[in-house]
Amino acid sequence: MAQTNPPFMSGVPELLLLRLLAQQEMYGYELVRSIRKVTAEAISLGEGVIYPALHSLERNGSLKSKRKPVGGRTRVYYSLTAKGRRRLKELSEDWRRVQGGVAMALETPGHVQA
Amino acid sequence: MSRPELSRLRARLLRSGVAPRHVKRTVAELDAHFDDLVDEARGTGADRALAERQALEQLGDMDLLADAVCARPELRSWAANYPRIAVIVYPLACLAILPAVPLIAGVANASNLARWIACALLSGIVTATILLVLQLSITLT
Repeated sequence: MAQTNPPFMSGVPELLLLRLLAQQEMYGYELVRSIRKVTAEAISLGEGVIYPALHSLERNGSLKSKRKPVGGRTRVYYSLTAKGRRRLKELSEDWRRVQGGVAMALETPGHVQA
Repeated sequence: MSRPELSRLRARLLRSGVAPRHVKRTVAELDAHFDDLVDEARGTGADRALAERQALEQLGDMDLLADAVCARPELRSWAANYPRIAVIVYPLACLAILPAVPLIAGVANASNLARWIACALLSGIVTATILLVLQLSITLT
């Protein structure tokens, strides 16, 4: 089965989805491929897990969706709303703050006892 | 997608109180995603069985996926989020709508109802005519 990410990854799929959808509208399969590409496969999701994340983001108004028939299949394309852009900004700032804090903790010598 | 997996997921989500519209949509999107994964694997030369097995692995464990959906209260149905209120509101709503049921049924079956009314009127007219003829024949003889 697909590898899952540890619990501290909570919120990361949402951040990545918002970031990618800020550039262009995409459907689920396309989004998973893009996540793999932009993270150089550092983040591996059970691919199905993005759908509840997408539906939640849509439900809280961060995304909107539309159906498009493509090559005999109906695709659900997602795009960012104004609220989604604000949410992306907030999440990005939160992430940078946490990332900076963790990086600082890792680089600080001492305090580690064997 | 492997149909039994999909059916099991659908049943589990509905049992867990996820709103039917979200269940329907999640399953449909997973189905399309599965088809895309199968196409991708077949493009690399895998046979259908292998491609489907790989696609299922890439989609992830269906139980974990169901857990991920169920963990989001915003995707659950109103009745599942507020069961105690639903137990009161649903029966009251049913009682409130009861007087309107004949009207709703009438509107839903308007064409049948129109035919029945036309038949009843026609048979009434025929019966009245026969009775009138009989009455006149008795009176005149």
